[in-house]
Amino acid sequence: MVVLIELFGMQREIAKIGKVKMPITEKTLVRDALEYVRNRYPALTLDEASILTTVNHELSPLDRPLKANDTICILPHIGGG
Amino acid sequence: MKILQQIKYQPAKVVGGYTDRILRVNLNTRKISIQELPPDFKDKYTGGRGYALKLIWDETKQETRYDSPDNLLVMSNGPLGNEPGFPGTGKFIVGAISPLTDTFIDSNVGGHFGPLLKLAGFDALAVSGISREEVVILIDGDEESISITAAPAYDSKTDKGALSFGQKLLKDINAGEYSDSLAAVVAGEGALHSRFGIVNSLFFDRRRNRIRAKQAGRGGTGTVMRKKGLRGIVVKSSLPKANGNNAIDKELVRQAGAKLKDVITRCDPAQLNLEAWGTTGLSEYMNKFHIFPINNYQYGQSPEAPKLFGSVFLDKYFSKKLPDGCYYGCNLACAKGVENVVLTRGPMKGTTVSVDGPEYETVAAVSNMGIFDPQFVLEYNWYCDEYSLDTISMGVTTGFFMECLERGFLNADDIGYDLTFGNINAVDRLLHEIAKGEGFGRVAGQGVARGKKWVADKYAPRNNVSVDKVLAELNKFGMEVKGLEFSMYVTKESLAQQGGYGFALKGPQHDEAWLIFIDQVHKEIPSLEQKASALKWFPLIRTWFNATGLCKLPWIDVRNPEAAGTPEPAKNTPTLAYYVDYLNGTTGSHKSLQDILDDSERLQLLQKMINLRQGKGTRASDLIPLRAMGPVYLNEYQSRSEYYDGWLQENSGNSNLPESTEQRLNLLIEKREKAYQQLCDIVYEKKGYTSEGIPKRETVINFDLMDEQASQLLDKFGE
Repeated sequence: MVVLIELFGMQREIAKIGKVKMPITEKTLVRDALEYVRNRYPALTLDEASILTTVNHELSPLDRPLKANDTICILPHIGGG
Repeated sequence: MKILQQIKYQPAKVVGGYTDRILRVNLNTRKISIQELPPDFKDKYTGGRGYALKLIWDETKQETRYDSPDNLLVMSNGPLGNEPGFPGTGKFIVGAISPLTDTFIDSNVGGHFGPLLKLAGFDALAVSGISREEVVILIDGDEESISITAAPAYDSKTDKGALSFGQKLLKDINAGEYSDSLAAVVAGEGALHSRFGIVNSLFFDRRRNRIRAKQAGRGGTGTVMRKKGLRGIVVKSSLPKANGNNAIDKELVRQAGAKLKDVITRCDPAQLNLEAWGTTGLSEYMNKFHIFPINNYQYGQSPEAPKLFGSVFLDKYFSKKLPDGCYYGCNLACAKGVENVVLTRGPMKGTTVSVDGPEYETVAAVSNMGIFDPQFVLEYNWYCDEYSLDTISMGVTTGFFMECLERGFLNADDIGYDLTFGNINAVDRLLHEIAKGEGFGRVAGQGVARGKKWVADKYAPRNNVSVDKVLAELNKFGMEVKGLEFSMYVTKESLAQQGGYGFALKGPQHDEAWLIFIDQVHKEIPSLEQKASALKWFPLIRTWFNATGLCKLPWIDVRNPEAAGTPEPAKNTPTLAYYVDYLNGTTGSHKSLQDILDDSERLQLLQKMINLRQGKGTRASDLIPLRAMGPVYLNEYQSRSEYYDGWLQENSGNSNLPESTEQRLNLLIEKREKAYQQLCDIVYEKKGYTSEGIPKRETVINFDLMDEQASQLLDKFGE
């Protein structure tokens, strides 16, 4: 089973990649996906207080279990100009 | 330069952020005077937007229009502007009765003008009257003189531009040298020939060693300036900028500034990274969530959008490793710029220029015309600044006419050329025509609201239908409210942002409420009640920033990690606590966040009363175009049918949906219109208005605004 992790903007530039596939088990959480990206791209800080995560375009807590073929987006907070 | 009038004066010392003086210049009589403010004036009206509102409430009338002699052009910083120890303190507002909306508009802008005006001894400048000849105002705090001079004539190209003219002017009056003790506001020929002229705020950037420009872009304040015969205003003061506000509690100010700078330093690089990308980084996120305007807001996403993502500007264009704050001490430093751009179009073709920008709004104005060429974005940006045209209103107005052509309301003969989506040559031609007041530019330069009437008058007789019927159709996709064109966000999937635009007192500009992400993406305000509460709270705090001389971005676009532990993280209240300390430290007040919100509510109410007087203050004035609520035509529904079908399922109790797309579209429209009206009811109640959007008498009394004019106005509206 795999999920797709999408990076945008500055994070995509730092990682030099926009989409990352990650193998999961039945116990894999959103938090684990963050850790997976951090380990592969150490230049990305991904501080949990500074980002938000969506799963299949729905805002998602970090302790949400992942399912096969989920798409996880890692986004900054945007408050508008 | 030929001096037409001059006075000598003793500049007031800044104490606690204020000078308690307004500089008044009447261009009819050439009278220059200094108004001393009573001690309670600042307590009631704060500064910035508040001062502009009070002056315009008192001194203009229902009949006042943008080009009336009694219209005021007000520029004001605010008590918290001008502190290099705190980020984002170079803002000032430019306020007036707008050529687009016929009611109060203000636009906030960065640079050094506001801080230098204060150091030269003034909390605000108010210009009335209309000059018989083109003039420049010089405010020289060093020489202790204020002058009205004849506008200098350099050469025909320079004199028509804003950037070119302002650069020469700033050197000319300072013995041939640029200096950061001088700043200017200027407007070019486009401001004279359109209703959406901007005011450029010019300042000397020592790091780039050139004059840079920020823009008061919305609502046509540059048009007001040029109609007054005012070519530019220069302010000079060599007083030190450090502790320029002469804060009452300097240590509290220092601590508050240090805390905010620390949050920015730690968090911005891991969040939006505005320091590197400016606001262009937003394009990618907006496109991802169907918020990026394409082809007159028909779509919110395009496969071509990546050509305009922030990474393109970062990699190919932005000058890197330059701290680009628009005022000293701002470590967010988002005012990006591009050097050595060779213009490939227009009358300046072949010239190498420096571009200040682009910002997100300009990028999205270009995508809204169906164009995805970053080089064109830069040239569009530069020409709009030089001519002094609002990139937003220009892009939205052009998009409207393009769609009129696409849907058969106009033909190419009406315009004179093929103004279709994506046609760079046609947009380029129109840009210069608007600036010069030539050809179809004379029509397009009037904006969307007046453009709708022009189209209806053309189309109706040709097709034997009534003008009103055509207007009703054009109102669905003519993207303006109260006469102002929308800023660059597609709101079809966010009811809260629909309200954010509809209730915005100046018209649909996002500086009063930008709720689209916390509503549509974060889903932090799912209920109508929560959306309505946000539509009261956010405009209040955002108004405060415009009244005090502050930039909002260090608060709203850098999320303090401590906010995660608060009940409403989107309000970023841990950072707001620094702002409250900064206010109290500067002015010596002992205010809480709630006190600040109350101060802002008074200003909002005053602005609402001006709107009411000017015919833009009722429920009908808050109605938004159908396209802001959802799809108008089938192509829009079909492009996002999965989302719309899902939304209909969710909002129809999961009953079976109608068979045809057309029926679904009609059902969606019915439900969206109803939801918007329900939102109006709740928001008006929260704001102390009647169901018709009229402030209740008790609300006006509670905020100590019940003067004779207010009483008569409320009588007129049966309240």
